[in-house]
Amino acid sequence: MGRMKFLCDIERCIDCSGCVVACKEGNHIPVRVNRRRVITIGQGQPGEKSISVACMHCSDAPCIAVCPVDCIYQRDDGIILHDKEACIGCGYCFMACPFGAPQFPSGQVFGARGSMDKCTFCAGGPEETFSVKERKLYGQNRIAEGKVPLCAAMWATKSLLAGDADEVSDVYRERVFKRGSGANAWGWNKAYKNR
Amino acid sequence: MKKILLPGLILFWAMTGLAIAQTPENLTTAYRQFNALFTGEWQQYGELFTNLQKNLFPRLFLLVITTIPVFLFLHYIAIGPMSFPHDGKRVYCYNLFVRIIHWMAALSFSLLVLTGFVVIFAKLLGPGYLGITARTVHLVSAVIFSIAAIPLFLFWIKEMLPALYDLQWLMIMGGYLNKEKKPVPAGKFNAGQKMWFWLATVGGGAMAVTGYFLYSHPGNIDILRLSAIIHNFLGAAMVALFLVHIYMALAATKGSLQSMIHGYKAEAELKILHPKFKY
Repeated sequence: MGRMKFLCDIERCIDCSGCVVACKEGNHIPVRVNRRRVITIGQGQPGEKSISVACMHCSDAPCIAVCPVDCIYQRDDGIILHDKEACIGCGYCFMACPFGAPQFPSGQVFGARGSMDKCTFCAGGPEETFSVKERKLYGQNRIAEGKVPLCAAMWATKSLLAGDADEVSDVYRERVFKRGSGANAWGWNKAYKNR
Repeated sequence: MKKILLPGLILFWAMTGLAIAQTPENLTTAYRQFNALFTGEWQQYGELFTNLQKNLFPRLFLLVITTIPVFLFLHYIAIGPMSFPHDGKRVYCYNLFVRIIHWMAALSFSLLVLTGFVVIFAKLLGPGYLGITARTVHLVSAVIFSIAAIPLFLFWIKEMLPALYDLQWLMIMGGYLNKEKKPVPAGKFNAGQKMWFWLATVGGGAMAVTGYFLYSHPGNIDILRLSAIIHNFLGAAMVALFLVHIYMALAATKGSLQSMIHGYKAEAELKILHPKFKY
């Protein structure tokens, strides 16, 4: 069995937020919840870089360790999913997560948080695969359809790679081999400045 | 010459190294900057919270609600309760206002403890909607408790101020370790009651503040992590003293519960347990 991973090639990411929109619209994510977000450094300056981040689907994940309901679990392929119907919205996973991946929709009684929502790697949840309930609670189950997650599929610059770790690293290694990396990478400088 | 050459060379390397590190083209630098924005100082409180919640908090609460009742039960069968004649002279100790706010605080606090345990042992007690309801009840009870605790605090603060003889009371554990009816050093409230009072009011205030953060999720996640840690440790201490308080009122001193219902205490009881109380 493979190990599912995301990899964001920061030399290709242009902060178009296509991944965020694709995820939000395609999975009908509640308002104020972002399963995926883009971080930019040195915005507006030469050498600006962006990275798209979501749940990292960690090994030995802190969220699984702290959940008092034990509703978060890891599949054999490394994808971390959770049971929204068991979740009590205590927020411990949010506090334990280094990446701020777990999100909570507001708007319940007394402004209480509802069940946690996070990136599912487009692999649904514990409900029956392709059921209406699964789609309503967790969004699309594209992994079961044999497709990559929505964010990785919609990417204009093909910067976000998702899938089996070995395949992803092969694609990335070939890419880096062809175009170089860091200061040698193809980009503005090599194309125009150093001519 | 060599003396200048070596530091000069090191300086040169360091400068070029710095220059490379500062160019945004360098991926390591970029990832380092991303990490600072992405994970922040997770190792500081995030790791601490994760380890405490994973290894300590549920076990701590389990320990508190299992060992303390066992010790109290052992005390009950080994030493037994104290009883005093209640047919003699009676002294008016608690007025109606204090009794009402005491029971308001008592009821809401009991709810806080129960719903708190639903969240801590959510897997067993209340997954899903039950747990979310428990959290809502926890919030409402916390507000009621805060409303009751503030006048209670102001009403009793003078009599609850620590005194030197409280240390003596603690040394002999309030005379509860034997059946002798010897006067113990205590005013209107003994050292045990004082400890419970300060923990429930000042500690309760800290619980209210940290609980508000945990409920409302403020912007800074480190505040949230610290709040969770403080809330759990203080909660364990409060549950422990809460159990002792219930035992003392219901079982350890026969008829002492009546004083919080009618407001009167037996003078015979006061002479032994609260001899320094001037009424």
